[in-house]
Amino acid sequence: MKSQTWRFIITGILVILGFIGFWNTLRLWTMSDEDKARMEERNPGSINELEKKAMRLGLDLQGGVHVVLRVKMEEIEPSAREDAVERAIQVIRNRVDFTGVTEPIIQKQGDDRIIVDLPGYTDAERAEDLIGQTAQLQFKLMESNENATLLLNRIDSIVAEIRKAQKESGELTDEEPAQLSTGDSSPLIEPDTTAEEDDILADLLGDDTLALEGEEGAFLSEANPLTQYLDQFLYSSKTNTPWPGYIVMAKDRKKVENMLNMTEIQSVIPSDVQFAWSTRPDVANAQEVYRLYLLKRKVQFLGKYLENIKLGRGQFQENTVDFRLTGQAAAAFARLTGANIDKPLAIVIDDKVESAPIISSKIRNDGQITMGSGATLEDAQDLQIVLKAGALPAPVEIIEKNVVGPTLGSDSIRKGLISSLVGLALVLIVILIYYKISGLIADVALVFNIFFLLAVMAGLGATLTMPGIAGIILTVGISVDANILIFERIREELRTGKTVRASIDAGYDRALLTIIDSHVTTLITAGALFLFGSGPIKGFAVTLFWGVLLSLYTAVVITKTIFDLRKGYKTLSI
Amino acid sequence: MLRIIGDTNIDFIGMRKKAFILSALFLIVGLGAFTMIILNKANMGIDFAGGTMIQGNFEQPISIGSLRDAVIGSGFTDASIQALERHNVPNSFIVRVKETKVDDMDAAERLLQIINESFAGNTFHLDSEHIIGPAVGESLKRDAQWAVFISVLGMIIYIGLRFDFRSGVAATIATFHDVLVVLGILLILDKELTLLVVTALLTLAGYSLTDTVVVYDRIRENLKKFRGKGQFVGTVNKSINEVLSRTIMTSLTSLTVVVIILIFGGEVLRDFALALTIGIVVGTYSSVFVASPVIVEWEARSPKRFK
Repeated sequence: MKSQTWRFIITGILVILGFIGFWNTLRLWTMSDEDKARMEERNPGSINELEKKAMRLGLDLQGGVHVVLRVKMEEIEPSAREDAVERAIQVIRNRVDFTGVTEPIIQKQGDDRIIVDLPGYTDAERAEDLIGQTAQLQFKLMESNENATLLLNRIDSIVAEIRKAQKESGELTDEEPAQLSTGDSSPLIEPDTTAEEDDILADLLGDDTLALEGEEGAFLSEANPLTQYLDQFLYSSKTNTPWPGYIVMAKDRKKVENMLNMTEIQSVIPSDVQFAWSTRPDVANAQEVYRLYLLKRKVQFLGKYLENIKLGRGQFQENTVDFRLTGQAAAAFARLTGANIDKPLAIVIDDKVESAPIISSKIRNDGQITMGSGATLEDAQDLQIVLKAGALPAPVEIIEKNVVGPTLGSDSIRKGLISSLVGLALVLIVILIYYKISGLIADVALVFNIFFLLAVMAGLGATLTMPGIAGIILTVGISVDANILIFERIREELRTGKTVRASIDAGYDRALLTIIDSHVTTLITAGALFLFGSGPIKGFAVTLFWGVLLSLYTAVVITKTIFDLRKGYKTLSI
Repeated sequence: MLRIIGDTNIDFIGMRKKAFILSALFLIVGLGAFTMIILNKANMGIDFAGGTMIQGNFEQPISIGSLRDAVIGSGFTDASIQALERHNVPNSFIVRVKETKVDDMDAAERLLQIINESFAGNTFHLDSEHIIGPAVGESLKRDAQWAVFISVLGMIIYIGLRFDFRSGVAATIATFHDVLVVLGILLILDKELTLLVVTALLTLAGYSLTDTVVVYDRIRENLKKFRGKGQFVGTVNKSINEVLSRTIMTSLTSLTVVVIILIFGGEVLRDFALALTIGIVVGTYSSVFVASPVIVEWEARSPKRFK
């Protein structure tokens, strides 16, 4: 068989392969929104299937969340480090699966990093909560009120002394004015407590802040730098015992935190207790507040024994997460709750207190995690998800986060489409005008080039990104160079007086080496960028690499095949 | 036959002195920019330096100046603010700061708070946020360095295989010249060095080397025909003239597409396209006025037949 026939056969096969590779993408891209809706109606889930088979779009084009996590190896035992990242990936994968994101990418990067890509998901904060929390669920008991009061008073006096010293040395001006308002001076009580209990509480506590008003308050705020911000709310009504749970106004939280973080204060907090904040703010007396607890550090019970975790409703129809315990875990939990009736049991997740309900009776099998009045249904769902998926083997921190809204993605697609089409059209026109019929042949090759490029990308499951689109457009500009080299050479050969046929053959022969030379350099760059580029840059490298590589075939073989179609050239339109 | 230029016989080599002076001037700026990068004093984008970007749109028009005042006035002294042209989304802006955390608060959250407080009643819709921690910036920097190293190494190996020592060195000089000159011009234009700009510079290195290779191939071919003494300069000149129409055509098509990206490609690709646009012009210039004159100078100093 002649080489001409072979070229036809090979090109034909490539075109068919191209269509196979590109078919699903082509179908998806040419569908209108109504078409999609109709298809989904006929066969639910089919659009989803089609999207999976079509070319992937990068987060920059379809919107989504990209998060890079670092597993904090330094915070776990050396023996647990070896597979910590893999186990963390498994847990995160489980959690992400519950969200219903169709094609998440969760992979390891380097030694201790995890990349999480959630295409189409744009609730960044929720994604962050779901992925980033360790979700270590612990049950802890609380410090006694007597000890707590002693500790708080000690902290008060230490801070007051430091402040005084600073004031005398002029370091502190009047930046800390008395923060007491009338709102602060009335006790903030959870909605379920009655007014009667209110009084009992005030009597019981003998809390200074309750009675504070006016100038006396201003004076006392200097003596009580910490406790002026705290309002005790937690107590057991049956035993009339207060517990160290305090309401702190959201605006004051930072100040309280700063005080508790002072090294002088850290050193007086006994090692077996810890301060812990509520997971989220809630509303008390029409004010946004946080709750601060003083817990015993000892972990009484671990969340990993929980089974059959599901959403539920609490006493006040609030959202809860219910669980079941069996076997030894149930026995242990029964012992714990039985021994601590009428005491609060803090439900702690990642060192934040979800809630601290008072144990009313021994709990053996069926437990309920109450979440405080600030929790929404979504919060409850997320808690359920992370408890089901299990805790991360090590804490993680988010070191990169990229959120692209869906409108921005479609904007980019639009821009990419316009620049590709305009760029392509202009190059096609320039080549056509300058090289006439030969230019038309080159244009045909260029269209083949783009078609093959898209087909290869779709077939390889490569991801199309905005820089990737730039790579396609750039390919158009660069790959046409091969035809320019050939045509200029043919023109030269024609000028030396050779026949058309001889000029064409000589043009291809002589230009070939230069074409390969010149393309190799671009391939080297694209290869290096592919190896070390991430995300969008990789997308650019992929399109550039394949575009230039394929152009070697389209610009040389396909055009030559077309030229060879005609025998006995008298003249050549070039 | 439509031809932009006919058979030319321009004495490009004769213009080399002027070209060298021009190149030297740009090179000084380029080397300055390069030194600043090495010393970590360059205007690094947030992908290398770490930082926060938020993008969004206001419901009602505001001036970019008032947004700038609000953000910078709240302590983000290094903030850069850009107005965006978006289809059907007016009043779009990008705010970039080098911080990722301010007082334990996400810089993005803080920025949103500032914007909401300063423009109360004019709702700001967040379209995108990107937070790059310093550790990620460091590793992106390292990856970029590797990509540069590997492609430079690859190109030098390739040149070494395809050419003799002299033309290899000359081609390398021309390529570095182009990258440095573009770097210098970007510095003058006060552009940030970002991942995409580095990508553009590497792509440009490949492109510029291609141009040089085409000229050298022709010189090599012509040297086989003209073996007489004292014909070296003439042969080089003739070769450049012969491939001139190809050089111009290819530059034209490449320039067309990058200018199109520059105009229609949007904010993301703007600096990338700008670097390539400048780069294609510089690369074309250098293949004619730098790469070949360098070997001519070398041959003049120590004559050795160019292979």
